[in-house]
Amino acid sequence: MAEASSSITEKFFLTLKSSDGDEFVLEESIAIQSITIKNMVEDGCSSSVIPLSKVDTETLIKVIEYMKMHSSTSSNEEEIENFDKKFVSNSINTILNILEAANFLDINNLLELCAEAVANRIKNKTPEAVRKIFNITSDFTPEEEAEIRNETPWAFEGNLDHSLD
Amino acid sequence: MGANSSSIDSNSANGSNHPPLKTKLEDIPEACAALILSYLDPPEICKLARLSRAFSAASSADFIWDSKLPSNYRYILEELLAMSIAGMGKKDIFAKLSRPNSFDSGTKEVWIDQNNGGVCLAVSAKGMTITGIDDRRYWNHIPTDESRFGIVAYLHQIWWVEVDGELEFQFPAGTYSVFFRLQLGKFTKRLGRRVITNTEQVHGWDLKPVQFQLTTSDGGCVMSKCYLDNVGTWVHHHVGDFVVKDSATMTKLKFSLMQIDCTHTKGGLCVDSVLICPISLAKELRSS
Repeated sequence: MAEASSSITEKFFLTLKSSDGDEFVLEESIAIQSITIKNMVEDGCSSSVIPLSKVDTETLIKVIEYMKMHSSTSSNEEEIENFDKKFVSNSINTILNILEAANFLDINNLLELCAEAVANRIKNKTPEAVRKIFNITSDFTPEEEAEIRNETPWAFEGNLDHSLD
Repeated sequence: MGANSSSIDSNSANGSNHPPLKTKLEDIPEACAALILSYLDPPEICKLARLSRAFSAASSADFIWDSKLPSNYRYILEELLAMSIAGMGKKDIFAKLSRPNSFDSGTKEVWIDQNNGGVCLAVSAKGMTITGIDDRRYWNHIPTDESRFGIVAYLHQIWWVEVDGELEFQFPAGTYSVFFRLQLGKFTKRLGRRVITNTEQVHGWDLKPVQFQLTTSDGGCVMSKCYLDNVGTWVHHHVGDFVVKDSATMTKLKFSLMQIDCTHTKGGLCVDSVLICPISLAKELRSS
């Protein structure tokens, strides 16, 4: 798999396979930003294709885009900052998928970026609004919910945003 | 559950033909939910704990609350309040601290701001040294629900007005403001309405300003002067600010209110407490 470059450094490549069956070839030095992949490489499990059964193609493209940007020596801090800003403006569903992929692949700065982005989207919203946005049904009994309120009564004061955007 | 694949956000596929695989936040692993929550303020975390069991469980993760707690929380709970926190989750510790905790025989309180974890303290008039307090012709204590301590000191009339207090505390590093909470005139409740009484006893405060002073154990000293004119309303009078550089050391504060020009008498003053809080929280008090 290793491709010897003409000059000083030798580049190694890995093949990542999404849950949809698409394969992506990536430089090892970029891919090992993922601790999960790094561990596989170190354990010698990376000679063939690395299957990422929990990451679909659309998400994997985004993750690779992110890893390329963040490992590139040519991109400066400002470029990375702008990239991140644009990156988190993806739809909330996309961000959530990336968040989960980052969790699975163990890419800490991507994980944090996505978690903060989701937090910013749900800030100042009532639980009811967040529930509607994310289509969550409460699995609490009314008694349990009352108990949660009683645990932290100080948290249930003040004005909140009821809008759904 | 498979029926829930519809999404509010129809742009999510972003031009691609793939429908989003996940549309439900509750599907995300608890560790991810906890990480999302860690970027929110404590009241919001607790509100979102009501979303579902998964969020409720995630909201109790210690790492979320570690970052919200003040650096000196062990000192406050174990040394100052003599509490055992063994086995207590960080969320419970935060909840405990976000309510006022009294110490020094109930004359002082400490709590943290729910939103930013800033440490606040209050010292009751009962915990301060007031010249002439034992002579009922000059001063007496009156119970009231307008004080966080349920009691204030009321000055009928005196020449030498002096109120001194001190506090030793291990503050987290930062800048803090000190205030005296004062009001001119006495007040009672009649038929549920607040009535200001004894306004005729209010006198002497327009002749000379009151002098506030704050000294700290590292040699800092600030003074401010102010003509009191807040009849019938409680006002936080700014005494001064102090800076704590090292969270590991004890800071000893001495604060005072003085009007000792003995050419005229002063009267009709209610002294509630001294408040010490991070300067970021103090801005609201100063503008009012």
